[in-house]
Amino acid sequence: MNFSKLIKPFLVSTVLTIGLAGCSSTNQTDSKGEDEASKPKTNENQEVNIYTARHYEVDEEIYKKFTEETGIKVNVVKGEAEELIERLKREGASTEADLFVTVDGGVLANAKQNDILQPVSSDIINKNVPENLRDVDNQWVGLATRARIIAYSKDRVAPEELSTYEDLTSEKWKGKLLVRSSTSLYNQSLLASFIELNGEEKAEQWAKGIVNNFARQPDGGDRDQAKAIAAGTGDIAIMNTYYVGLLANSEDPEEVKVADSIGVFFPNQETNGTHVNISGIGLTKHSKNKENATKLIEYMTSVEAQEFMSANNYEFPVNPNAKKPELLESWGDFKMQELNFDTLGEHNKKAIEIFNKTDWK
Amino acid sequence: MRADLIKRNIKKEFNGWWIISLVGAVVILLPILFIFSSIFQEPNENWFQIRQYLLKNYVTNTIILVVLTGIFTALLGVTLAWLIAAYDFPLKRFFRWGLMLPLSIPTFIAAYTYRTMLGYTGVVQTTLRNHFDYQINAEMLTVSGIRGAVFIFTFFLFPYVYMITRAFLESQSTSYIENARLLGRKPLAVFYKVVLPLSRPAIVGGIVLVIYEVLGDYGVTSYLGIHTISTAIFQTWFGMYDVNSAMRLAAWLMVIIVGIFFLERLLRQRRRYHLSNKSRPLVPVKLKGLAGLSAFMYCSVVFLLGFLIPFLQLIAWAKMTFYKIWDPSFFTLIYQTVYVAVISTLMILILSVVVANVCRSHSSFSFIISKCVTSGYSIPGPIIAIGVLAIFISLDKWLAPIYSLMGLGEAPLMLSLSLIMLIVGYFIRFMATGFNAIEVGFEKVGTKYMEASRILGLGVTKTFFRIDLPLIKGSLISGFLITFVEICKELPLALLLRPFNFETLATKTYQYANDEQIYEASISSLLIIAISMLSVIIFQMIGKKVKQ
Repeated sequence: MNFSKLIKPFLVSTVLTIGLAGCSSTNQTDSKGEDEASKPKTNENQEVNIYTARHYEVDEEIYKKFTEETGIKVNVVKGEAEELIERLKREGASTEADLFVTVDGGVLANAKQNDILQPVSSDIINKNVPENLRDVDNQWVGLATRARIIAYSKDRVAPEELSTYEDLTSEKWKGKLLVRSSTSLYNQSLLASFIELNGEEKAEQWAKGIVNNFARQPDGGDRDQAKAIAAGTGDIAIMNTYYVGLLANSEDPEEVKVADSIGVFFPNQETNGTHVNISGIGLTKHSKNKENATKLIEYMTSVEAQEFMSANNYEFPVNPNAKKPELLESWGDFKMQELNFDTLGEHNKKAIEIFNKTDWK
Repeated sequence: MRADLIKRNIKKEFNGWWIISLVGAVVILLPILFIFSSIFQEPNENWFQIRQYLLKNYVTNTIILVVLTGIFTALLGVTLAWLIAAYDFPLKRFFRWGLMLPLSIPTFIAAYTYRTMLGYTGVVQTTLRNHFDYQINAEMLTVSGIRGAVFIFTFFLFPYVYMITRAFLESQSTSYIENARLLGRKPLAVFYKVVLPLSRPAIVGGIVLVIYEVLGDYGVTSYLGIHTISTAIFQTWFGMYDVNSAMRLAAWLMVIIVGIFFLERLLRQRRRYHLSNKSRPLVPVKLKGLAGLSAFMYCSVVFLLGFLIPFLQLIAWAKMTFYKIWDPSFFTLIYQTVYVAVISTLMILILSVVVANVCRSHSSFSFIISKCVTSGYSIPGPIIAIGVLAIFISLDKWLAPIYSLMGLGEAPLMLSLSLIMLIVGYFIRFMATGFNAIEVGFEKVGTKYMEASRILGLGVTKTFFRIDLPLIKGSLISGFLITFVEICKELPLALLLRPFNFETLATKTYQYANDEQIYEASISSLLIIAISMLSVIIFQMIGKKVKQ
């Protein structure tokens, strides 16, 4: 009696759980039935697995095209870059991921530091991507870049008034400068680049100067800064070219108007160049489909894929032979900051510390 | 003597139900304990930096958010519940369930929508600018900072308070309220002297749910640029790659949460009013003229702000982007979302019922178990995710010999690449949602039927299936639907724990919105809302049937 009292509910719920688990596993294969058929687990040559922090339609399209051309299936897990790095670290040698894709140079450097990548060697890739847009140890390869530029109100600011990032801290911009929160990786890498190029002390002074000139407390994303220029909250903003492209090509005529009302200025052309955010792709240390992975990198850096990406996502191609879309072309060529991307990762922590200290929200 | 008593107590309590509860608690606690294991390490220099510059700010922001949201949701939720339960006015029957609809809109979607709608290119400012040539001060309308977050949380989370309080008032309070009315109390006095004290446990229960949502929130606060402890955990963990400091912040969060636990207990203490055994429904009083109109207006405004306006705005955006966004893969997204939510919800309900049944004895053991089981709700999703991930990976490593015996190859990640991991994540996170609904059900029923059945000789298990389960059917259904909706809306766990090629509507929405493509996010947002709405409607229909 006592025994049955003890065991009965246990049995009931075990049966229920097993039943559930049973239907869960059968259904799961059901839902993937189609995919499964085209990727037999034993034949490793037919797939490549990607962890990506780039969530763009255009990337999906390129993967699709790649599958069409090569028959290699591309499996994708999307997430925040830092979370994916953490996941790769924990999965270690048993990971299924072959490639890691993300948007920011600092993060790429961090992935490298965390020892989750390995060098890629391919003549095609080396030909497609210039050396300054690859990791020094070839642990990752650039896919596209965005310039962190100064956007200005065409009505209220003449481009001649603008010159460098450093000039943004001068008195004349007091109460006129817009920029997003320091939690944004774009700002962290920007400051990290200054730490590398100008030294910690200067970088801190710069951050303090920027905070002094805020038109308002940092609010919203990059697009919101452009809108705030249009609304008259401020006159100039630090933002990415990519978002100017998105605004200019928006479905919403009001957003297009915003894009029309702002100009794009590439700072530091006379000095050390404009800061760029680089998107990159790296081969994971424990990749099981190395050959396919290399093929995909080769494809993604090819002229065809690069032109497609640039035309649809308003990023600068890394392949010098790829043509830029009209809008990007209209901004002209520019001089890029020259630095080892590893340093962005190295200084990231310091950058966050400076932001905290200078109260850049 | 004492030892004897303890022994007897253990013997009395110890049965299969007890064991399952214990096992459930362990499964839930394991990842959480893993997270906390690092708290005993020496603090590093980051921590000093955080403490010096940021901690005060994080904690103050978190407390301000929680307190303000708590107060406003209580105000909105309780007054609406009282109006709907006790009065008749135009469209009341519609509002009765319509006021639950704000819950169908995930708060992060509400934040994106309102912010964009009220922003410079949004419909409000554009209309003023283009048709009336009036440029409003853009900063005034901006949904941002604490002000914006409190607005979003209040209008999209108040239904927790509203639903629980209304259900309580409708079924439990009749005799008290009627007596008070008979004895000549004015409506306001009835509200203050009878309704408020009487429904305190229900109100507190609702507010606590709201507070957990706020504490665990990442989507809204990070989007609106507020530094809370929860966003700081992300920032230190993923921005500074400092797990240790993130844990310490999590500990701070836990201090707040444990405080709320005890506050809740304190507030609910000695407040068990499941006395009205004949739970007659409350007969509503008809409001005439101005009073009826005001009640109608009040409900309308809340309904418009909390549901209709953002809903219509999303439809407008969906229309705009439909041609380029829509493709048949959305059906797969819907299927996957519903599928994973249903399985997780069922598992949650099974354990909830078992634990809640054990907890009816109100021993200190059951109190501890119930708190353990529900603790996941107060822990931010990403933290649970990392804990679950770590446990599953070690489980896979541990099971590796078995895998190779089964011919699956060397050390594959069987479990951590499967959907089971995400389901376990949901299980831990949303246990409390299911559990609270069922606990309320048991509290409403009281223990007398069970006691009678036990005295008449039925065992715990038989009593449960014959007596208790039919009695709490309503709570089971509401528990299912609430949990289901929560899971469909959930974001960070889905982002972090889903297997290859598996996307839910929430992750899809997030991807667009995170990339500042708010218009493009509208279709998947609407689909989440549709699924949630459907659940609310089913809930309503079943509720009616049960009544009849």
